[in-house]
Amino acid sequence: MVKVSKINFFSTSIIVACTYLFLYVPLVVLLVFSFNLEAFPSPWKGFTLKWYHELIQSKHLWASFLNSLIVAICSTGISLTMGVFLIFYAAQGGRIGNFLNLFYGNLVIPETVLAVSLLGFFTLISLPLGLGTLVLAHSVLGLGFVIPIVYARFLELDYRMTEASLVLGASPVQTFFKVTLPLLKPALTVTGLLVFIISFDDFILSYFCAGSTSQTLSLYILSMLRSGISPIVNALSAVLLLFSSCLVILFFTISKKSRTRIF
Amino acid sequence: MKIKFLRTPPSTQFPFTIGAPAMIWQVLFFYLPLAILAISSILQFSEETGIFEGLTFQKIAFFLRPLYLKVILLSFFLALGNAILCLLIAYPLAYFIAFIGKRYKNFFLFLLIVPFWTNFLLHIYAWFFVLEKEGFLNNLLRGIGAISEPLQLLNTPFAIMIMMVYYYLPFMVMPLYSSLEKMDVRLVEASLDLGASWGQTLRRVMLPVTKRGLMAGFFLVYIPSFGEFAIPEFMGGDKLMFVGTVISNYILGDETGSLGAAFTLVASLFLLASAALLYWLIDRLIPGRRHG
Amino acid sequence: MRSIKLEKLKKTVKEGTIIPDVNLLIPAGKFFALLGPSGCGKTTLLRLIAGLESADAGKIFLGDQDITDWPIHKRPINIVFQNYALFPHLDVFDNVAYSLKLKKLPKAEIEQKVTKILEAFHLENHIYKLTSQLSGGQQQRVALARAIVNEPDVLLLDEPLAALDFKLRERMLIELIELQDKLKTTFIYVTHDQFEALTVADQMAIMNHRGEIEQIGTPKEIYEFPGSSFVARFVGTTNILGGKLRNLNADPEIEIANLGNFKVSIPQVKEWMKEGCDMLMSLRPEKIFISKKEVKNFSNHLKGTVQSIVYHGRSTQYNILLKNSMRIQVFEQNEEHFPQEVIDYDNEVNLYWQKENVVILEK
Repeated sequence: MVKVSKINFFSTSIIVACTYLFLYVPLVVLLVFSFNLEAFPSPWKGFTLKWYHELIQSKHLWASFLNSLIVAICSTGISLTMGVFLIFYAAQGGRIGNFLNLFYGNLVIPETVLAVSLLGFFTLISLPLGLGTLVLAHSVLGLGFVIPIVYARFLELDYRMTEASLVLGASPVQTFFKVTLPLLKPALTVTGLLVFIISFDDFILSYFCAGSTSQTLSLYILSMLRSGISPIVNALSAVLLLFSSCLVILFFTISKKSRTRIF
Repeated sequence: MKIKFLRTPPSTQFPFTIGAPAMIWQVLFFYLPLAILAISSILQFSEETGIFEGLTFQKIAFFLRPLYLKVILLSFFLALGNAILCLLIAYPLAYFIAFIGKRYKNFFLFLLIVPFWTNFLLHIYAWFFVLEKEGFLNNLLRGIGAISEPLQLLNTPFAIMIMMVYYYLPFMVMPLYSSLEKMDVRLVEASLDLGASWGQTLRRVMLPVTKRGLMAGFFLVYIPSFGEFAIPEFMGGDKLMFVGTVISNYILGDETGSLGAAFTLVASLFLLASAALLYWLIDRLIPGRRHG
Repeated sequence: MRSIKLEKLKKTVKEGTIIPDVNLLIPAGKFFALLGPSGCGKTTLLRLIAGLESADAGKIFLGDQDITDWPIHKRPINIVFQNYALFPHLDVFDNVAYSLKLKKLPKAEIEQKVTKILEAFHLENHIYKLTSQLSGGQQQRVALARAIVNEPDVLLLDEPLAALDFKLRERMLIELIELQDKLKTTFIYVTHDQFEALTVADQMAIMNHRGEIEQIGTPKEIYEFPGSSFVARFVGTTNILGGKLRNLNADPEIEIANLGNFKVSIPQVKEWMKEGCDMLMSLRPEKIFISKKEVKNFSNHLKGTVQSIVYHGRSTQYNILLKNSMRIQVFEQNEEHFPQEVIDYDNEVNLYWQKENVVILEK
């Protein structure tokens, strides 16, 4: 433990407290007012769950929630699968070395630029915009995370395991499925969660590439925002916060159990 | 002699196509569209028939006018300011989580990641809620009699900046924390022991050691911030134009699609150039390793 | 159980040649030890045999079969790694059963073989535990069980006991000897610890820093009759004295400058032995008799002063300064609780040895 002088401890704690306050006050306020009897801007009138009822009954909401879910699951699945193929190839001795740098492009290009260029591309090849194009777009986004993270983890694996497996009689392919892949499972799961959430919450790509027919959750919220403050959105926020919290807990549990570090 | 453990067989019988899907996908849906974007900015299409006519730099030149340069510059300052602000807040925060609140670090990290993993627009909505003319903060202030007229908090640069920091803070904290956590605390103790002040210790010991995380965090914030369009759009109103908003206006506008492409190209080039410059600058400012 | 023959095996990396044209025959069914200093290439040799490295030139034979180009998983050779390399995602049972499951043996048979071997290794209470829950010694036994359950022709062991503490190591060495006796599989044991090698080996080879095999033989042969000063120094401790060969044909002697002439015995005259040539004499400390009194019946005699005394429990080590400023080590077994003669610092002592107990080495 660092012997921190009283002043420094105090000042960092202040900064930390203020930061967390800053992060959470809006969310907490949102949460609280989701139970308010009357719609904003009236002050607190009483406790009610009616906004939650309205929320559950909104068909549009469920449709867009489902859309987001489908897109997220598909794009996560696609990027993870392609990642596994790549690693399989590498594990069998294929050379990918420099090609890996291809995937760092995602970090250098802002999402807006990517969205715009994809939109142009889809228009060019006359691909109708919709959930399909969204899945394509999100999977590209996902690849930018899956490959660097999981491949890095692959490189860190203890190769004596691979050697042991080969020596005991397993062919390189068998070794991959019996040893390498199980050892990579935590990293794959955790990265999958990350990519899922990024896709689910994504706004910019959806805004540009979803077209007019399909609506994701983000776009739904956007449309509600445009019509002003509404307690239903508060209720939705509360629910989504809960959803995110659960995912984060899952993320931490898996990371901790397998001692995988993403960051 | 160190033994290099067998990671993979020396060669493979599998064709390249097995590993290729990821790369093909990436090239097809990432690099190709970008290339098309870049190229379409210099292509000239006839306005009536839409037939390809020739190359032109007119569209690009169009955007090199002061009006648009101002937009780019504004975005630059926004991104830079955001990155710096985030850094100033994130460093002590990461330090706190890594060393002072170590026992509860999972809790602190959890609290940090939850907003990060919550829908972006919800955050916009939350701040809307707080900052709006009829919103929470104004009502509160009016309620306690601090102000008589509601403050105009939304649609201001202030609102934009708050939201930017709010959204991008975790991007800065994560890599920084990761780097900081790996640092041997005894280095700091030794430095203080030898008589250095906190400022000196920071500059000479901590920053160089956490250089990698710092740079990662910095650019994870800087680059997306430059192209950010949703936050200025919703929190900034119509008064200020940023790169993101201009791009979206042009692209989604009816006939200005290819102009939008040109502007995107110009802005992206500027982004890359400024990022390279910043990278070089920070690299010079902080001694130590960049990678590793 | 089959033999391993290495023919002109060579491996080079960019730092240099690790394995320089090695020829070696490891007899079938024996416990063979490969001893050498750290970094000499013995582990590389082992990995070449297993297939984990590929040679630049030369051949490897398993019995009569040329397995040089065989892929790793086809070779009926297993290896016990230094850090065990147990699969963390499988429990003890699945670790041991790994190779059997690959062969697609019927489930009942696998079950029977695995439980039998785990019982033999006293691990029956840990069968379904994860490997991380076991102690070092237990993990080592799991690694061993895993490597022998599918009855390989050859078992390679790469310093398997390095991570264990002394007492455990001693015990495991005995267990390994008994295991090999029972299985009759060819064991190839690589280590830098001469005590381990001398204990387990039926036959051993000494490898020097350059990767060359200096000598092959039984532990006793190697210890008592080292072929070079490297071997003499590396295995056990010795005193090496240089001088000139005199009186080769009649009663051979070594003439050591400022010290005198000492009788030596030459069982076999070698090519390099010529009258007056330079040679080395290796005299092991335990072969020297030390006393303050004058004693007869020894072929050779030296006088010296006691510089330091180190008590080793079983024996006492004396470091003696000779009149030509050289030092000699002497080991005396502590036979008695209260020895009749007490030798102390700065005492003048007499050192005696028989001429048959020295080894003559080429310079």
